[in-house]
Amino acid sequence: MAIVLLPGTLAAEAGGQKRFELDANTVGEALRQLPVTNLLFDASGELRRLVNVYVDGVDARGGRLLDEPLTEESEVRIVGAVAGG
Amino acid sequence: MPVLLPIGTRKGLFLVRPGNGGSDWQVEGPLLPGWSVYHAIVDPRDGVLYAATNNPFYGATVHRSSDLGKNWERAEEIGLPEDSGLKLNATWHIEPGSDAELWLGGDPGVLFRSDDGGLTWEVNRGLLEHPTRERWQPGAGGMCCHSIQLVDGTMYIAISAAGAFRSEDGGESWTPINKDVAADFHPEKYPEVGQCVHKLLSHPARPDRLWQQNHCGVYRSDDRGDNWERLDGNGLPSDFGFGLALDAEDPDVAYVIPEVSGEQHFTPDGRLGVYRTGDGGASWQLTANGLPERAWAAVLREGFAYDEGGLYFGTQSGSVWTAPRGGGEWIEAVRDLPPILSVEAAAV
Repeated sequence: MAIVLLPGTLAAEAGGQKRFELDANTVGEALRQLPVTNLLFDASGELRRLVNVYVDGVDARGGRLLDEPLTEESEVRIVGAVAGG
Repeated sequence: MPVLLPIGTRKGLFLVRPGNGGSDWQVEGPLLPGWSVYHAIVDPRDGVLYAATNNPFYGATVHRSSDLGKNWERAEEIGLPEDSGLKLNATWHIEPGSDAELWLGGDPGVLFRSDDGGLTWEVNRGLLEHPTRERWQPGAGGMCCHSIQLVDGTMYIAISAAGAFRSEDGGESWTPINKDVAADFHPEKYPEVGQCVHKLLSHPARPDRLWQQNHCGVYRSDDRGDNWERLDGNGLPSDFGFGLALDAEDPDVAYVIPEVSGEQHFTPDGRLGVYRTGDGGASWQLTANGLPERAWAAVLREGFAYDEGGLYFGTQSGSVWTAPRGGGEWIEAVRDLPPILSVEAAAV
């Protein structure tokens, strides 16, 4: 089971749950199982521009992003882009 | 009936209530931290609290709470049809409908309707596909649909900078109502559409009467927007401002909070002043008893509210000011909130 970690604002929208264990083969599969899917993706299904995803500490935007494969031990961390100084 | 002020800020929602004797105002919040609350209301029909919520990372949505902020539900995706080529940039204003429905105004100049208490929203096609849309342009705050008024079976909306529109068929079609309303920034000074309305209000006691604070003046219409009379030459220190408030009973009374200009969004002469007319805009008087004389304040378009008890406004410097209806001293009910985006007054 891959682990997905949410930042504070998203965790509040998920009923206070920060950590999810999900059965998913890719980043996209994992993210679409979360109860905050419509905050991560826009109406056209695109990952929002300022949402970053790290898989085991590596920025998935530098890789295959939503197609990035996950293993049983993967840790997916969702992070808002650094902004505001 | 006790008043509750939902105060939308850049950092979340605050609920402000008067303490015993109407002073010692109590502050609850921030609720929905991390969300910019462009507007929040308590629906008088069922007491549900709604917030138009926006986040730079996670987009634009609506939150609802049936227990005044203890628990929240979030709307499903609020999207625009793919064939429109448009994306929702922000949710701006929530208005209870004439039946059970809710209306939501947003950027880019869009209107939505909900028939399930704000969980799902359907875009209004008449406005989305309006034949004049290509002549609309965004103001400094985006192309926001910020004013929604329903009175006597007629709907009015206003968009910055598209102008004001009227619908007499429940939102199926929209007629521009911008005659004699200036657009000084536009190549054509009095275009059919493209005016930068900052706030538009109707008065329930006189359904044909509308007021608007515009980028280019303060106006009143007595014929449902067919014709407008410009009023800011009658004693206001500036034609520019955002907030607008009326009187709960007297349709000849209106209040504005002038700012210097579109380039300088702060109060004229270093004075925070509310100007009142009691004669339909023929004259305006400064009502500033209790307000600071050395203040360069700014009040946004959703930042001014009224009810049977009084007037309420919030500044971008985080203060909430209130005065009793009919006159009296302004008091600073709350200070040092995050920048205030919206103020409403609800009876609970």
